[in-house]
Amino acid sequence: MSSSEPPQIIPARVQALMLSRHMAFVCAALTIAVLPLVFTDTYWRTICTVCALNVALAIGLDFVLGYAGQLNLGQSAFYGLGAYASTLLVTKLGIPFWVALTGAIALSCLAGAVLALFAVRLRGHYLAIASLGFAVITYQILLNWISLTQGPLGIYAIPPPPAIVLPGLPAIDFHNLGNLFYLVAAFALLSYRLLDQLVRSPIGEALIAIREDEVSAASLGINCGVWKVFAFAVSSGIAGAAGCLYASVVGTLVPDAFFVTESFTILAMVVVGGTGTLVGPIYGAILLTVLPEFLRGIGDLRLLIYGIALTLVVFFMPGGIIQAARLASGLLQRLALRRTAR
Amino acid sequence: MTAARPIDSMPSRRNIGILLRAQGLHKRFGGVQAVHDISFDIPEGAVFAIIGPNGAGKSTLLNLLSGIYRPDAGSIVLNGVDLTKLSAHHRVRHGIARTFQKIRLFRHISAIDNVVAGFHTRHDIPIWQYIIHGPAWRRDRERCRDEARRLLAFMGLERRAHLLAGSLSYGEQRMLEIARALATAPCLLMVDEPAAGLNAAEAEMLLDRVDVLRRNGTTLCLVEHNMDLVMKVADQILVIDYGQFLFKGAPTEVQRHPGVNAAYLGGQLHEPSAHCR
Amino acid sequence: MTVVLQQGINGVVLGSLYVLVALGLTLVYGVLMQINFAHADIVTLGAFCAYFFTERLGGDYLQGIAVAFVLGAMLGWAMNAAIFAPLREGGSELLPLIATIGVSITMENAMLAWFGPIPYAFDSPYSNDVIRLGAAYITVQNALIIAVSLVTIGLLYAFMKFTLLGKALRAVAQDRETAGLMGIDPNQLVMLTFVIASALAGMAGAMLGPVLVLTPFAGTSVIVKAFAIVIIGGFGNFEGTILGGLLVGLIESYTTQYLGPGMIDIVVFTLLLMMLAVRPTGLIAEKRDENV
Repeated sequence: MSSSEPPQIIPARVQALMLSRHMAFVCAALTIAVLPLVFTDTYWRTICTVCALNVALAIGLDFVLGYAGQLNLGQSAFYGLGAYASTLLVTKLGIPFWVALTGAIALSCLAGAVLALFAVRLRGHYLAIASLGFAVITYQILLNWISLTQGPLGIYAIPPPPAIVLPGLPAIDFHNLGNLFYLVAAFALLSYRLLDQLVRSPIGEALIAIREDEVSAASLGINCGVWKVFAFAVSSGIAGAAGCLYASVVGTLVPDAFFVTESFTILAMVVVGGTGTLVGPIYGAILLTVLPEFLRGIGDLRLLIYGIALTLVVFFMPGGIIQAARLASGLLQRLALRRTAR
Repeated sequence: MTAARPIDSMPSRRNIGILLRAQGLHKRFGGVQAVHDISFDIPEGAVFAIIGPNGAGKSTLLNLLSGIYRPDAGSIVLNGVDLTKLSAHHRVRHGIARTFQKIRLFRHISAIDNVVAGFHTRHDIPIWQYIIHGPAWRRDRERCRDEARRLLAFMGLERRAHLLAGSLSYGEQRMLEIARALATAPCLLMVDEPAAGLNAAEAEMLLDRVDVLRRNGTTLCLVEHNMDLVMKVADQILVIDYGQFLFKGAPTEVQRHPGVNAAYLGGQLHEPSAHCR
Repeated sequence: MTVVLQQGINGVVLGSLYVLVALGLTLVYGVLMQINFAHADIVTLGAFCAYFFTERLGGDYLQGIAVAFVLGAMLGWAMNAAIFAPLREGGSELLPLIATIGVSITMENAMLAWFGPIPYAFDSPYSNDVIRLGAAYITVQNALIIAVSLVTIGLLYAFMKFTLLGKALRAVAQDRETAGLMGIDPNQLVMLTFVIASALAGMAGAMLGPVLVLTPFAGTSVIVKAFAIVIIGGFGNFEGTILGGLLVGLIESYTTQYLGPGMIDIVVFTLLLMMLAVRPTGLIAEKRDENV
């Protein structure tokens, strides 16, 4: 690998603009704005919204897995905790939605921090099992604490968030699925922005150091324990918020939605997209949410697709979609070079 | 958080104070007494070497000093601060940095990113700017990258800055580890077998760098097998064997000490240097 | 008192099954430092294999167990050759683990597509005969389970401790590089480990079939407890796994009796988490220090 730059086909300034994160942000915002106008039926709008939720979950996991290097299989637990906590606060205690959302996030962060205390002392495999155990325990509690959660019967008729009234503007009513999508997508965008800023700051450098080699990271003054707890707390907080929104979007809550397979699903999205890139899991989430919709006839076997995708990616393209994109662009550049050389 | 200290702008000093005092260090692993009652002082500004046959406990000693292991007994005092109970990452803030016998770089990121990671204890950014990058964040990033480039150039790696650390040659990786450790602006830099695997040219360069560091006021503690290097560069040498203190003194004294010759050198100190590839 | 005894027997039966599954896991971890999530699906496949052999092909149940044993061995060989060996070169710690998760999900859902979600009624010829032990009783099936488990564990233990091959396996577990230098081919031994572990899993599945609900998720329901056992007993530690398995089996049966079946997972996993918090290396295992 030489460090000299290959001759540019596209002028450097234009390339920089195309690749700049501001451009990407604008593109994403535009796409989000346009989607509910393209999909006007309930079914596809719901898919888009679930997609946005999965994006948030995936980038949250990537923060812990791809950057801090911790294999956390407990995301389903935080997702479920957030969903049930906020719903119960709203339906049983009459707490306003936005306050309940904050409460749910706080609870999930706390749970994440507790799980992280295991991560501090355990190496990869142990942590995977501990987090899995955590997910199982949470699921069983949700399933069996019938007086609180109504168990397998579930909680029904969960209202969407209350309409937002800003002075001078018409009320934003969330019974409208388009508006609900904007809310969830805005949340996903915000989460991405937060994580992106963190990752490019010295905190991100510390997490990457922890992922690469904890011993030498400590020799540089990095307190591995504290930063692992931080990564877990942020990641689980995002999952908890996503859970709260999930309840509003789907309207019903059953424990089975938060079975441990959900953790594996999110893992598949991260790995297929590209671990440790933050952008990759976005594509992975979108792909894996939308792909089963196009493979009609396979219908209910979403999980089979995820399993195959995950396995294939690990074997042939461990860097996921991002690695594939880089290879493809490198190939294209070489082809273009050969063209111009003639 | 201290401001960045450029490498070559410090005047040379002659210091006679004691920078690090280790007393009565003991460390046992299961049935093996790896370190038994070792005490020594590292004078400020000196190049202090620790030598001994394989398995003598040199790396264990380094691990005790840097905080990877806690001593079963004994104390470690740096600049008047008792480090004995502090964890490894805490000690860095007091000015200890180290490299490792088996190279421990962050292999999947670039050389310059490795060095930048070393600035962890020296950032000067208000907390909110970690989330919303403002002017202080930008200034800090510029400063870090500038100084990282200077450190890389100091260790001869300026043209390798953007390569993945894992793809560098063995010698370059050793230099990078030192550059990264230097990023913490240590007053005591401990290097574990820095010349292992270096060819003649690289070892020469290492010698030269050690000299510049010493002239700029960094104290160095060297664990090394390469006797040529040690004799050329060390001010004081501590010889240990089977985890126990054998001798401490200037290079010429060490050469003449019969016990050292017997235990370690086999009486043949004037052997032409045998560099590892 | 009868209840206590009865549940105790049930606990031992369950425990023996868990031990068979967990032993495979602990063997693989001991030698490879790797967890195989797909182990669960080999158990499930072993169960289905025995089911089809006895119910559809009319074979003898005991032979069915042997067939499942062989199937497990073949699956283990295939998995190692296709998955673990290629990925081992990479050197990443998490990637092989994630690969096994992928394989496990794929296998599970493929079985779901093939066999469907409705449980299969798997009755072994021994399910209905009963032996009386004082006031308590034990079905012949369960007695068979305990007997086979004991014999298997005994054989495996003897193999590891006394045969040359077994010692070679332990050598590779402790220090692969040096074992290689001593003339042991680590790759072949790794393969052997996999084959033995998976054969055990297949056999356990065949015996579990009549006891558990036979669906594509049968193995998964057991595997998470098997993980708990391996951690409680100590990864790579034989005696610990046996102890841990019996402990978990007993906990499960007494919890079912006194607290209700819903609490089983919660109790077992809380115990697991406590264990990890306090003594991650398990009840008996020795510490493995990383060389700095």
